Amino acid sequence: MRADIDHRKRFEAARDALFAELRSDEAAALAFEAESSDFMRFNGAKVRQSGSVEQAHAKVKYFRGPKSYAFSLGLGGDPQADARALAAALGEARATAGLLPDDPYQAVPAAGDVSDSTRRGKLPPAEEIPARVLGPAQGMDFVGIYSQGAVCRGAANSAGASHWYESDTFLCDYSAWLPNGRAVKSSYAGREWDGAAYERQLADTRRSLEALHRPAVELKPGAYRAYVTPDALNELIVFFSWYGLGEREMRQGESAYLALREGRESLSPLFSLEQDFSLGVEPAFNDDGELAPERLPLIERGKLVNTLVSSRSAKQYGVASNAAGADEGVRSPAIAPGSLPEADALKALGTGVYVSNFHYLNWSDPVNARVTGMTRFACLWVEGGEIVGPIKDMRWDESIYALLGSKLEALSAERRLIVENLSYGGRLTGGCLIPGILVNGLSFTL
Amino acid sequence: MRHDLRRLLDAASAAAPEAAWLGLRRRRSQTSYYLARDGKAEQSACEYDEGVMLEAYYDGQFAYAATQDLSPEGMARAARSALAAAKAAAGRGVHRFGLDVRPASRLGWESERRLKAPRPADEVYGFLFKACEALKAGDEVIQTEASLVAGSYDYEIVSSAGADIEQTIHFMGTGLQSIARRGELVQRRSAFGPRGLTRQGGWELLDDARLLAEAGRVGREALELLGAENCPSDRRTLVLAPDQMMLQIHESVGHPLEIDRILGDERNYAGSSFVKLDDIGSLRYGSPLMNVSFDPDLAGELGSYGADEIGNLARKEFIIKDGVLVRGLGSLESQARSGKPGVADQRASDWNRPPIDRMANLNLEPGDTPVEEMIKGIEKGVFMRTNRSWSIDDYRNKFQFGCEYGTLIEDGRLTKTVRDPNYRGISSSFWNNLCAVGDRASFEAFGTPNCGKGEPNQVIFVGHASPVCAFNDVEVFGGEK
Repeated sequence: MRADIDHRKRFEAARDALFAELRSDEAAALAFEAESSDFMRFNGAKVRQSGSVEQAHAKVKYFRGPKSYAFSLGLGGDPQADARALAAALGEARATAGLLPDDPYQAVPAAGDVSDSTRRGKLPPAEEIPARVLGPAQGMDFVGIYSQGAVCRGAANSAGASHWYESDTFLCDYSAWLPNGRAVKSSYAGREWDGAAYERQLADTRRSLEALHRPAVELKPGAYRAYVTPDALNELIVFFSWYGLGEREMRQGESAYLALREGRESLSPLFSLEQDFSLGVEPAFNDDGELAPERLPLIERGKLVNTLVSSRSAKQYGVASNAAGADEGVRSPAIAPGSLPEADALKALGTGVYVSNFHYLNWSDPVNARVTGMTRFACLWVEGGEIVGPIKDMRWDESIYALLGSKLEALSAERRLIVENLSYGGRLTGGCLIPGILVNGLSFTL
Repeated sequence: MRHDLRRLLDAASAAAPEAAWLGLRRRRSQTSYYLARDGKAEQSACEYDEGVMLEAYYDGQFAYAATQDLSPEGMARAARSALAAAKAAAGRGVHRFGLDVRPASRLGWESERRLKAPRPADEVYGFLFKACEALKAGDEVIQTEASLVAGSYDYEIVSSAGADIEQTIHFMGTGLQSIARRGELVQRRSAFGPRGLTRQGGWELLDDARLLAEAGRVGREALELLGAENCPSDRRTLVLAPDQMMLQIHESVGHPLEIDRILGDERNYAGSSFVKLDDIGSLRYGSPLMNVSFDPDLAGELGSYGADEIGNLARKEFIIKDGVLVRGLGSLESQARSGKPGVADQRASDWNRPPIDRMANLNLEPGDTPVEEMIKGIEKGVFMRTNRSWSIDDYRNKFQFGCEYGTLIEDGRLTKTVRDPNYRGISSSFWNNLCAVGDRASFEAFGTPNCGKGEPNQVIFVGHASPVCAFNDVEVFGGEK
């Protein structure tokens, strides 16, 4: 909407205004999130809804003595009005903090690091988006969302830390459908729009749809060999953060990985997971302005070697922080590759299910790390290494200790970088680098 | 119409004279959060936000620009941007809309509430610490958590056609949870599920005595589950309490009946529906005991409002009558696209997202069976309470849901408590096996602030009220490695 908007200046102005208001016995951390986004939602290769969103929010953690309080507010873009709004909110925070009980695990930010990452892109003009995105898709039942623009994150604290991350990106997250209800899901993402590359991708999608014209295969419940593609495995990644590998969840019985931590269960020696900010898809700083190590091993050869520890948990449990966020979720996860060439996946699968996508996963029994979910989109039945046809979608229910443990036969040698496609509240940053996995006996239940 | 909104609308109109219509939706919100864990303060916060979504209409196409810049210059920029987007999409839209999908309604509406003055933070923590004490029912309780969320948001809609709407929603949510452990076994028990106790209203919802009694029950039941047998795995009659019916209605009735899903808008993300447009008016969705209403006017239920966010005035409508699907959950836009009857349900999560078809309050109407009588009539069953796990396919048909707490029903009596109760089924057959609907005495309303849908993504408040219900011949099972 505003080509001249400078989110970085807004962040710096908010930072300077906030910290100038602090008294000598106060401390604060400022996290800043902003975006300038164009969206186009489409159905049947036609525009369903389109428009733009400009937004910036400041999230402040406030500390005075043993009291802690947090507040957030939207910033309208006028530096003086934003400074007044921040000062007013700070005044409210002072009044409320005086009424609060002491915070025994208060972790006042002490890190004073500075970082800066700005990645410019080359994006289509907003008014050309419908033609550029939908033009080459004509003839397909093409459904999804195109989004583009700058996504910004900043963090600073009163100890002197100041970090900036800004990235221009686009993402066309789509599926293409046949009249028989079968579909292929894919995406085209990057920083520099390349119309020719996009058209090649759509041509691949058209070819992938051809296999879905075959009659659908209806499976009965039971255990089936399965090759789970990186796109499908991506749906499992959140399960390392939700009842996951955070130190607090481990200590308080909420983690589904207690048995892994306590040595009662293990994952496959083939399986290793780390947090790897070298992927470049999100900043390594957290909302308190603390920088995480570029790489942090979490699971090595099936054993838990680190949990995610925030400064608050570090204080509460007397362990070292690794600059996790307040939610102690995994950021920029990377799963180590295996030795199975992706080109040989069908051959290695032999007879079983090629799982292109999963859908709507949830813990079904967290104590036993069991997850349930559905197959979705272009999942295929394979016999003797050859595609027979699409399957009718199946529900599955499996423990992670089986899926990534006793039943894990191989991981693909190639990995795919999958960028975050969620946009709750705003366009999110992040992504993961993951291989496909070959599983001997995925349990289909319905 | 408020003077400042008129000024902003005038600025937008002057900047985009080619727009045949302009609409402006401003939303302001303030929410306070308080969390105590194990009797200690964990997190206290307040969120403030304000912004505007401006819509422009050109040649049958709407487009939007959302901004926090509420100056006349900011509105002018937004209007030019929205008009440019509408022009770019004109002729490429899924439907050539008329302006009848943006009615020029006039309305003032506010949630009913008795106590308007917030309790001070020290009093709130006094309650939360007492709740943690009550949740700690024994040494085997390894975590207690008590939380409170209180807030309000208002949205005003004005348009160049004369719409003038101001609505204010007040809400409060309370969370109470105990986690208990014995050896390798860990059990979680909560008061009506994650944020299930979220309702519209004022500070009267912080009813200390009632909530502390609930906290005590939650703590005791967490310990009880540690000694309970695993839920059996077989087929039997399933009885669901209203705090699980909430989820059952939401996932297997609400979502599949959203007309935008049936039209395919959500196929790339939330999914489609097993229901077809032609089913509306004829499909036997469930047994004749099934009556489902869209009821945006049930005081206190979380999804109540007077008009949706395109200005369509809301009223109660039956969606399923005596088991037959009679109406879809579709807004004026979806009605124009589909030609099917719908409701006033085009809602947005915030000022920065365009409104889409949503559930609001979707309720199962009470029947006439007292719960005691219902149980007496069941030879072999299980009564499940409080949602713990939810998963359903993208057509909203094959589902698997889990609950926190189960009780076996044997020969017409509630007998043993069982842990880790789950069930799975297929929506279309499950609802046809609805065999008993509880009376008004068992009718309770719950809500969730966490319904996700849409591209770009949106999470929104919905409410679901239901009596206790029973379903024949359901596959149930417990936890296992």
